Amino acid sequence: MYGEELRIGVFVCDCGLNIAGTVDCKAVAEYSETLDDVVAVIRNKYTCADPGQNEIKKAIIEHKLNRVVVASCTPKIHEPTFRQCVADAGLNPYLYEMANIREHCSWVHQNEKAKATEKAKELVKSAVARARFLEPQIEAEVPVTKAALVIGGGVAGIQSALDLADAGHQVYLVEKEPSIGGIMAALDKTYPTMDCSI
Amino acid sequence: MMDVGRHPRIKLLAYSEIEHVSGFIGNFNVKVRKKARYVDENDCTACGDCVVDCPVIVPDEYQQGLSSRKAIYIQLPQAVPSAYLIDMDHCLGNNPIACGKCQEACEKKCINFDMEDEILELEVGTIIVATGNEVYDPTELDEFGYRSFENVITSMEFERLICAGGPTEGHFVRPTDHQRPIRIGFIQCVGSRSDNRGNPYCSNICCMNTIKDTLLLNDHYPDTESKVFYIDIRAFGKGFEDMFKRSKEAGVKYIRGIPGDVWEDPVTKNIFLAVEDTTSGKVEVHELDLVVLSVGLEPRKDMKHLQQLLTLSSTADGFLLESHPKLKPVDAPTRGIFYAGCVEAPKDVKESVTQASAAAARASIILNAGKVQIEAITAQINTDECNYCGLCAKVCPYHAITAADRKLGIYPEVIQAACAGCGTCGAECPTDAITMRHFTDFQIMAQVDSILDKDNMDKVVAFACNWCSYAGGDLCGTSRLQYPTNVRLIRTMCSGRVDEKFVIHAFKKGAPLVLVSGCHFADCHYINAVTWTQKRVEKLWNKLERLGIRPERLQLEWISAAEGQKFARVMRELEEMRKKVTPEEVAETIKILEREEAKALEKKAGKAKKAEEALQTA
Amino acid sequence: MAERGKFKCLRCGHEYEDKYTPGVPQERACPKCGSNSVRRIEEKK
Ligand code: SF4
Ligand code: SF4
Ligand code: SF4
Ligand SMILES: [Zn+2]
Repeated sequence: MYGEELRIGVFVCDCGLNIAGTVDCKAVAEYSETLDDVVAVIRNKYTCADPGQNEIKKAIIEHKLNRVVVASCTPKIHEPTFRQCVADAGLNPYLYEMANIREHCSWVHQNEKAKATEKAKELVKSAVARARFLEPQIEAEVPVTKAALVIGGGVAGIQSALDLADAGHQVYLVEKEPSIGGIMAALDKTYPTMDCSI
Repeated sequence: MMDVGRHPRIKLLAYSEIEHVSGFIGNFNVKVRKKARYVDENDCTACGDCVVDCPVIVPDEYQQGLSSRKAIYIQLPQAVPSAYLIDMDHCLGNNPIACGKCQEACEKKCINFDMEDEILELEVGTIIVATGNEVYDPTELDEFGYRSFENVITSMEFERLICAGGPTEGHFVRPTDHQRPIRIGFIQCVGSRSDNRGNPYCSNICCMNTIKDTLLLNDHYPDTESKVFYIDIRAFGKGFEDMFKRSKEAGVKYIRGIPGDVWEDPVTKNIFLAVEDTTSGKVEVHELDLVVLSVGLEPRKDMKHLQQLLTLSSTADGFLLESHPKLKPVDAPTRGIFYAGCVEAPKDVKESVTQASAAAARASIILNAGKVQIEAITAQINTDECNYCGLCAKVCPYHAITAADRKLGIYPEVIQAACAGCGTCGAECPTDAITMRHFTDFQIMAQVDSILDKDNMDKVVAFACNWCSYAGGDLCGTSRLQYPTNVRLIRTMCSGRVDEKFVIHAFKKGAPLVLVSGCHFADCHYINAVTWTQKRVEKLWNKLERLGIRPERLQLEWISAAEGQKFARVMRELEEMRKKVTPEEVAETIKILEREEAKALEKKAGKAKKAEEALQTA
Repeated sequence: MAERGKFKCLRCGHEYEDKYTPGVPQERACPKCGSNSVRRIEEKK
């Protein structure tokens, strides 16, 4: 993709009031438009919801975007969501970047609205800067060994092992003690049904 | 329990411990030590003939030490596997003079004193951690007189005393005189909900457990007079309020107040409690035959070890940290690992079973898919740049890089399936021959530039690792802990990715302060990559000092995903430090570093020239 | 082998002595302020 003209789309999320309550999202969106290589900026109430995702897909096609920046929450929650979203629109999922303007901005600077807005702008700027250097990547696929290990033979371990085995999988159940049963086996009757524990 | 022993697809490894875990989602490699039982698990019919002649008597852990067992024993009558074992710490040995009586007694000849621990290697695609919890030991709370007064027992001991399979065969008697107690007091929240001793959290199950116990007592012995001393009763599950009501209707007295003083009548051995009833404000004294301490739950003490083997973190309460507290409550942050039961938090049987089924379902998704995608963040070596130094192979925590050999002209190679993408090799490589996919030098330098190209004096450049520090920042957000707006985070997978040149570049671009942050050593998600971070930062401190730059301007901090508080505190402290850095100091730094760079370039040019000359003369 | 060395906290400036093993990186925290920015300093000769 090197040599190709950069066409970056920025999607600013209000997250209801979670972001917009502190950060002036309109200002962030307007600022994003001034950044080099940014050809489309769209603001959404909830970017992660279906309508928001559809906007991204539409914009990728309409504006021939080759980089997508979403300014919303932490990548820990929605990076997989948005990677899938851009992939659905035919873009390599690694050409997507996230600016965390919620956990790392609006939620932690609730009393400094002006400064939080400035920070949000810069977080977007930084994400765009990184996005310029993103490259498409192909994920390797590895086979899965068809067996599960359950560590601990208390009531939870036993239940997990049985469910997995009943679902047709090979299960290894490792218990430290000489017998399975755990704490449950030492209880007499358990609430709420008051029946015997084992 | 029986079903587990019989299921054709479950291989039960009891009396076994996990020794080592390696690999990644879909492809874990696990070493298990199966400890010697000295009794053949398959042949033993649990007839119990061996026990009769064993001369050694030790307290029985399963009966909470309330009765005893022999050195050859079975943990519980319904044990699965249904086989005896020898406790070698207490056995006298098989030397005929020493003992060996059980061996003679066993007709099936399944006792073998030469049995040894077995090491098994398992290959699995997913792991479910269900190691449970421990029960709080109230000995440290001397105000309740546990261990000083025999008639003060814990709720766990109560279970064994009232159980038909217990040491008293279900005849409910108190320890001192083996008479049935009539007046029974339950003290709630023992070891829970306290900031001073025990644990700060609510253990979730003890209120309902006590209510159940009062109903049980009432069932078996209608003349029992139960009194419950509590802070507040938490009966929030399905059917729970109803049980609470029934207990009250059955005549159980609920007294809001935790006893401040407990003493024993030296003659009758009855227990006296002094308690302020906080509803009436009156201090009352209660005489009781037996007191049950409703003890809370705790994380297992041996969990740390397993946690390290699986690189899992714990929350502030010591239980395991989930991938997301609301959306992925049974997933571990490490892909392919799931939680079931009390390892994650105290919970009752129903919740444990629910979570166990959820974990099984989550694990099934991976097993059924048959393949998983590995994130494309691995290392790649550009052999044109490589000078065979071999550093990359040396630092890789996963031994994912093959050895280089200058003489034979063999370049190092990254085994893609083994590389976890920590970036340590990329940061160490002296010639920048390594590209970290999706976390390239270009990408990270572009972020540094973008942070500092405006108002550089107001910024703190912070490198944060994905798993711990960045996540700690997220937790800070979720908990709405406020801190100054000046810090700018750059996310890397591991702090080991932070190349010396990123830090130098930030200073050259006018950063007043730089932070490198990662996981605590014990939490490192890439085995020990974090130790390279530490080394590199120490090297940088020395280098800065040598150049006449204050090493204080490079800060190092280990912040776990659970340490939102610490994250906020560090951010505040950094802001104070940043304010003390003057524009003159930064200008001076830039000058120094530019001079350094010019020198390095000259040297390089000189070398290239020499090489060229050498080539020409040759 | 553990030796004793001088350490300085780069956050609060506190200086103290502690055990350390040369060549083995260790997690350190300042006993005064808890910071991990702790640097081993050479004895001034
Ligand atoms: S469940 Fe009840 S007794 Fe247990 S800690 Fe919570 S409030 Fe206290
Ligand atoms: S990125 Fe980390 S795991 Fe991968 S090869 Fe380099 S050092 Fe090893
Ligand atoms: S560290 Fe760099 S130069 Fe050294 S062997 Fe590895 S790739 Fe080659
Ligand atoms: Zn300090």
